[in-house]
Amino acid sequence: MALLKVKFDQKKRVKLAQGLWLMNWLSVLAGIIIFGLGLFLKIELRKRSDMMDNSESHFVPNSLIGMGVLSCVFNSLAGKICYDALDPAKYAKWKPWLKPYLAVCVVFNIVLFLVALCCFLLRGSLESTLAHGLKNGMKFYRDTDTPGRCFMKKTIDTLQIEFKCCGNNGFRDWFEIQWISNRYLDFSSKEVKDRIKSNVDGRYLVDGVPFSCCNPNSPRPCIQYQLTNNSAHYSYDHQTEELNLWVRGCRAALLSYYSNLMNSVGAVTLLVWLFEVTITIGLRYLHTALEGVANPEDPERESEGWLLEKSIPETWKAFLESVKKLGKGNQVEAEGVDAGQAPEAG
Amino acid sequence: MAPVLPLVLPLQPRIRLAQGLWLLSWLLALVGGLTLLCSGHLLVQLWHLGTFLAPSCPVAALPQVALAASAVALGTGLVGSGASRASLDAAQYPPWRGVLGPLLVAGTAGGGGLLVLALGLALALPGTLDTGLEEGLGTALANYKDTEVPGRCQAKRLLDELQLRHHCCGRHGYKDWFGIQWVSNRYLDPNDQDVVDRIQSNVEGLYLIDGVPFSCCNPHSPRPCLQSQLSDPHAHPLFDPRQPNLNLWAQGCHEVLLGHLQGLASTLGNMLAVTFLLQTLVLLGLRYLQTALEGLGGVIDGEGEAQGYLFPAGLKDRLKTAWLQGGVARRPAPEEAPPEEEPPKEGLPEA
Repeated sequence: MALLKVKFDQKKRVKLAQGLWLMNWLSVLAGIIIFGLGLFLKIELRKRSDMMDNSESHFVPNSLIGMGVLSCVFNSLAGKICYDALDPAKYAKWKPWLKPYLAVCVVFNIVLFLVALCCFLLRGSLESTLAHGLKNGMKFYRDTDTPGRCFMKKTIDTLQIEFKCCGNNGFRDWFEIQWISNRYLDFSSKEVKDRIKSNVDGRYLVDGVPFSCCNPNSPRPCIQYQLTNNSAHYSYDHQTEELNLWVRGCRAALLSYYSNLMNSVGAVTLLVWLFEVTITIGLRYLHTALEGVANPEDPERESEGWLLEKSIPETWKAFLESVKKLGKGNQVEAEGVDAGQAPEAG
Repeated sequence: MAPVLPLVLPLQPRIRLAQGLWLLSWLLALVGGLTLLCSGHLLVQLWHLGTFLAPSCPVAALPQVALAASAVALGTGLVGSGASRASLDAAQYPPWRGVLGPLLVAGTAGGGGLLVLALGLALALPGTLDTGLEEGLGTALANYKDTEVPGRCQAKRLLDELQLRHHCCGRHGYKDWFGIQWVSNRYLDPNDQDVVDRIQSNVEGLYLIDGVPFSCCNPHSPRPCLQSQLSDPHAHPLFDPRQPNLNLWAQGCHEVLLGHLQGLASTLGNMLAVTFLLQTLVLLGLRYLQTALEGLGGVIDGEGEAQGYLFPAGLKDRLKTAWLQGGVARRPAPEEAPPEEEPPKEGLPEA
């Protein structure tokens, strides 16, 4: 018993072919959109690869780019097939290729679905990459004289200003590293000497943050230094002060930005996947309907289209049988040759 | 009296005119759409920078007029493409016969007038912008400390964001901040001798310091930002004289904003000029096509040679008599403006 049988007369077949032709060309457009989204994601990741230690995974954008290109190729081919399906002479040359092509389409749809899922699931790996990258980035903030790292200060400052964040998890991360270059420290000053002696590694640690952490929404001019010392500033209590600096850490800010981006891209990819599945089903119906037109001299006849010739369990059994036959094929041949030789000898 | 600027149009040139007009109309529609987007963009930019432009400065007039003008140009382009397409098909042309005349008048008067006005405004913009920005930025700087005063409490945030985004400091340079009090009195300790000294050092009793807000800081500087005691060369050790300008943004916000807005306005002006040119060509072409087809009595495929013209014969005389009869003291300018009452069905060209 065939799966989901639908009757097709000539008019319906023609309409199906035309509709599929249009849908295939729309799908080529959708493929271009997926390609563009993959490219955009790749560029966004590259822009901030400094913050991720240049070790971020480009798997998602690369696979989106690949899927976009494949979708364009497959769908333009399917469009050509649908266009030729209305002409029995032209269709005859496509006939033997249609079944393997449909199998390839099914595989493509499965892979597209997996790629869409990946867009949603790669958040976790991005989080650990960001935490690691930001920590290193902050360590190199002061190395404005070291070639290869001299741009880290500018990158982190512009990042904190643009994403409205401060430090890795919060502004206190800046208290634990030396972010002022030794070149600008007056080593003859007592205060500098005290601070350097106060810790094991001999670093100049301050309870202050760079200017890029400042929040413009604060009603008072930004307090950057001596943040934990209430008496250093008039009418200041560091425990209740919220508006002075950005409260969010840059890891959380970047993560939420990239999560939103990948979620939107994943949603668009899922929509395109649904569209592709519809096209594959339509193509299958067209294929079986045209096969049903047994007599090519009588194209006006009604025919039936279906998804699978037999029901699902029977189709699965038949598929397994054919796989087994493929394995046994050589054995049967060998036995046949022996059997042939035996009667000859006998 | 011969018609104004007549042009003989046999069948083939008529068809070529219609085809060329179709292409030109679509081009006009495209350019009109782009100008629409450009003027919308300028309007949004001016809205964002509204706090830094004096309210008396009517800079918003340019993008609004340009918006209207480009909408009319877009409409003209679409009408032109429809009419030229219809003029090649005998079945489609009759409905166009009635509407084409009034549409041409509306296009010329409305579109032409708006475009000329917009171009004039685009040329006059730099002067108004300069004075507007001067006043607006001065007010914004003075209101920077008033974060408690309702109506002015956003000035600090907006000015900080402006300086951060546009990479500028002060009006014409960072020293502008030395001349105003930008620290709110609420955060000044009245018992601090330094504060008292500073307030007493000037006539108006302002707390003036040689420091700037954090938003003036330049991230490209290799050393952490120096914001305070900028006039004192000994306050910050190891100051590198080879790199004096990297610490703060060197440009003033006045120059930066002026350049930015003038760039946008000049792009808009260029696009308006191109739209004006295209619209003139399309309207002229449509007029010639219309009068030529009217000469054939509305029959498209007529092999006869029709004459297309801009204004019908005897127009000058008719206008003169109308003026004498009306006795209104107006400047007669029959060549510049199209006649208001022009019957769409023009008679055969007079001998």
